[in-house]
Amino acid sequence: MKKIETTLERVVKTIEEFYDRYEWHFLTLNGIDLDDGKIELQWIFAKYGAKDETVVFYCITDYETEVPSIVKLIPSAIMGEREVVDMFGLTIEGIEGKLYLSDDSLKTPLKTMGLGGCEV
Amino acid sequence: MKWLAQFRKKSPWILHYNAGSCNGCDIEILAALSPRFDLERFGIVNTGNPKQTDIFLVTGPVTFHSRERLVELYSQIPEPKVVVAVGACTSTGGVFRGMYNVEDGIDRYIPVDVYVPGCAASPQLIIDGIVQALSILEKKNKAIEKPFRLFGGIKRIGKKISRLTMAKRIGEEK
Amino acid sequence: MKKVINIPLGSQHISLLEPVRFQFKTHNEKIVEVGADVGFVHRGIERACVTQFEWKKLPYVVARVCGLCAITHSLSFTLAVEKMLEFESTRRIDYLRMLMVELDRIHSHMLCLSHTAENAGFEAMFMEVMAAREPVMDLQEAISGNRVQFDYIAIGGVHRDISPETAKEVVATLDALKPKIERLLEEFSKNWSLSLKYRGVGMLTYEEACIYNTLGPLARAAGLRTDVRLESSDLPYEEVGFEVVLEKGGDIHARNMVRLYEILNSIEMCKNIVQNLPEGEHLLKIKGKPKGEAIVRLEAPRGELMYLVRGSGKNFLDRVRIKTPTFSGIPAMVEIFKGSEYADAPAILASFDPCMSCTAK
Repeated sequence: MKKIETTLERVVKTIEEFYDRYEWHFLTLNGIDLDDGKIELQWIFAKYGAKDETVVFYCITDYETEVPSIVKLIPSAIMGEREVVDMFGLTIEGIEGKLYLSDDSLKTPLKTMGLGGCEV
Repeated sequence: MKWLAQFRKKSPWILHYNAGSCNGCDIEILAALSPRFDLERFGIVNTGNPKQTDIFLVTGPVTFHSRERLVELYSQIPEPKVVVAVGACTSTGGVFRGMYNVEDGIDRYIPVDVYVPGCAASPQLIIDGIVQALSILEKKNKAIEKPFRLFGGIKRIGKKISRLTMAKRIGEEK
Repeated sequence: MKKVINIPLGSQHISLLEPVRFQFKTHNEKIVEVGADVGFVHRGIERACVTQFEWKKLPYVVARVCGLCAITHSLSFTLAVEKMLEFESTRRIDYLRMLMVELDRIHSHMLCLSHTAENAGFEAMFMEVMAAREPVMDLQEAISGNRVQFDYIAIGGVHRDISPETAKEVVATLDALKPKIERLLEEFSKNWSLSLKYRGVGMLTYEEACIYNTLGPLARAAGLRTDVRLESSDLPYEEVGFEVVLEKGGDIHARNMVRLYEILNSIEMCKNIVQNLPEGEHLLKIKGKPKGEAIVRLEAPRGELMYLVRGSGKNFLDRVRIKTPTFSGIPAMVEIFKGSEYADAPAILASFDPCMSCTAK
């Protein structure tokens, strides 16, 4: 597993330079709640036919900043982005959440995890 | 029309709905319909239409997303009807009890006649449950059983959320 | 005449095993637009994994994400935790784990084939495949103690050892299964009425498979060479005779062929495993609490399964991310539906072998 740090402004450009659809496939976009009101976003890729080659681009950001979308580059990223919007209450440009939750479900269930308890 | 009851008992049709289970019980229901266990020897046919159904097989602990569909399907089945809850999570919530998007068992919404235990319930147990349901079906008449539905908001006890007091039978809410 | 008709499929439908809702927009019979609602089975397991259950209980909780590929779920979580604890498993443990994963793959693929046959209108074939599947379920019961949801994997090994009598039974049952699969192979490729429903229907080209990052049998039927058994070194698959199955067609027929050949390959692997089972312990003691981060990928019957686990040396983990095969496959599925006839929709849907309880967690 190779971890590469990036920032929100650079992430689309970095992935555009890195991604070749015949060589790599996109696994998912993942969010991890850090305790101090920050979130770590991870874009995970794996190589076709190579042993144990995964590359993780990650960046640490807060909940308010808008996250750029990579759906135009990788159409299958839409599921991961919708899930992150649903689970953490982030805003991603052009992405609507509403994948799993109903109107009276817990809002943003994975967001304030580290702080003990969450919004209802 | 007493003679109708005999046909009902000899050829009950089942409707299967997954209200949030893990698939384990669903494939065991399919296995019960297949040649080894052969549920069809009791005249049972798996139908997709609630209006032709006598036995309602439900799996899963009722997720928030599927509640309305469950009650809707139940109300579309003509009387008399029996409900069989297949699996541990359908009866009590099981391993999913207390998760945020789950209702801890289907008896908060619809009246249940037979509970089938097990995670996952084995085909033998499912057949046993359905045969018991048949004897209950015989005794039932055309009286309408009303399902429950949640109304209003959410009650908080300390830090936890309770929805128990909010359930009322349809038609009785005020 | 170009009139748009809306046709919903689901959430309850005779051709569906699990609730999923598709909203088709059609021009006459041709599907032009598809909307999918996949959240019917969302229970909130990812949150419960970090707030409700301690890490030692989690292999049994994550197994309840999906009943069909329960073993791959608990195995990938266990492998991730074992990586964080720097645990070295013995070869016997690896072999027993592989045996159960491959048996699970056989029964899952057979269920999918029977379901595809039923949705194409061939009820007798459904019954035949289901009947042939039962001996495999019996084997699983003999080895682990339960037909589905066998909590066989433990952190540090497996719960039960295999006895020499059971090992003989495995070989005998799989030997008896092989001719049945070969007969099915002939039936699925030569039966004229099945070919009407399968050949050229639900096409996915190699190019589209790359664009949409499809996985598992769906990708291999389109000629994309991807299989995590090849791409991961967590389990020694080369030693037991694993081969990648590739087809070129990309239609339903090709997907059926991929599944049938994979069953044959899995039968060979299971026999190799049982006949060359190394000696050793089947359950070892583990020490410590998981700390750090680990990613594990494993080939489930439907494609690639990924677990990302992060812990900080406490009883509760910090994050458990479950990425399931159908979750990544949905954009491709929606794309395949476009342009096909509405009457073919149930058969196409069954050929994806979608697993909604995996997708929604």
